[in-house]
Amino acid sequence: MEGRPADDSELITRAQRGDSAAYEEIVQRYQQVAFRTAYVIAGSAADAEDAAQEGFVKAYRALHRFRAGAELRPWLLRIVANEARNRVRSSGRRHRLELRLTEGFRPGDAAPSPEAVAVALDERKRLLAMVNALSEEDRLVIASRYFLELSGDETAAALGIPEGTVKSRLSRALARLRARVEEAANA
Amino acid sequence: MPDLEEQLAALATAIEWPRTPELKVVLPIHGGRALRARWGKGWRLPQSRWALAAAAVLLIVATLLAYTPTRNAIADWVNVHTVFHRTETPLPSPTPLPSGRPGEYLNLGTAVTLDEARHSGIEWKILLPASLGQPDAVYVRLPPGGPSGGAVSLVYGERSDIKPSGLTGVSVLVTEARGRVNEQYFQKTLGPDVTIEQVTVDGHSGYWISGRPHNFVFTAADGTPYFDTLRLATNTLVFDDGGTVVRIEGDLSKEQAIQIARSIS
Repeated sequence: MEGRPADDSELITRAQRGDSAAYEEIVQRYQQVAFRTAYVIAGSAADAEDAAQEGFVKAYRALHRFRAGAELRPWLLRIVANEARNRVRSSGRRHRLELRLTEGFRPGDAAPSPEAVAVALDERKRLLAMVNALSEEDRLVIASRYFLELSGDETAAALGIPEGTVKSRLSRALARLRARVEEAANA
Repeated sequence: MPDLEEQLAALATAIEWPRTPELKVVLPIHGGRALRARWGKGWRLPQSRWALAAAAVLLIVATLLAYTPTRNAIADWVNVHTVFHRTETPLPSPTPLPSGRPGEYLNLGTAVTLDEARHSGIEWKILLPASLGQPDAVYVRLPPGGPSGGAVSLVYGERSDIKPSGLTGVSVLVTEARGRVNEQYFQKTLGPDVTIEQVTVDGHSGYWISGRPHNFVFTAADGTPYFDTLRLATNTLVFDDGGTVVRIEGDLSKEQAIQIARSIS
């Protein structure tokens, strides 16, 4: 890929006409966010892999229903996320999502000393542990918005809820997380 | 203490995600129903009991036939003698490194001298890593093929302590372009098998990308995202140096890459 890439609508149009290279480019472009979204929902890499794979296949089959002018990314995420939820539901097992910090991660932004780096790292670990400890509903909306960096409509698509509900759910989730952070700070 | 939402946003770069599998969708050649996807696991066990039994019988027969004494005994028993020839396909000879100018096949733009690059219309002082010596080749990419403001690539062939790329013979590739790193953009385009770590190079913030990153996007001088290919698909150090995005690609350790970056002037 070099220079200005084909935009999504162009790729979709080409894929709808049977251009396999265009669909492969769509897959390449969105497989990471699709897989990670599925992972956040399913809590297991294996289930996320299956869900993303099946999601892309279903999306291909549904290409003729894709509305011209609509956003591709939320549409794909909705399909993949649905697939992830269906897998969790049908398998009857639910893995608890445990997000972790990358090994070797160091907050590199202007930390003045090794001690300060260690403190910053410790704070991030504690915050992530608090996110992990939230209810599934809270954890999902926070992970979608902040860790997957999905927009409001993408989060709505991924979680299968209206965008207005994303806002209220996120606001409540942040309030609960803030309360825990303050509680820990005062302990 | 940053705001909670800022802290959460900062965590995004530090989350350890499972490796994203490479999805290869096999699309139908005829009609629209035969789509199937291959991804990691590939083969799946047959679901029906009969299919499983048939597969087991085939496996046993294949195992027996593969064992020469058994095969001969069966041949004697059914009075059929077949000579099995083992043909060995010769291994391909190693592909020689491409001859000619280093990096010639990396699609880096127009080959120029350093002096020509400085006068090609780019508007920044080309940064040269002193620890690598003089570049073995220099390329310039200007719009429309390159980013607004252009891009300069410095190619370094064989260097001690650095393993050159087996396909290109290039040890280190340094690419410079006017713009800034946009964390939100580039992390989404790197591809699978990649970990990202925030680093600081002489006060400049940057990222150490280890693994096999393929794509990179940054905000070009005109404020638009520019998608580029990481030509060597190796560990890469990216940092902002006063409005110039510098990428150092190569089979390097983080320490080696930072050392090269620090020698830039």
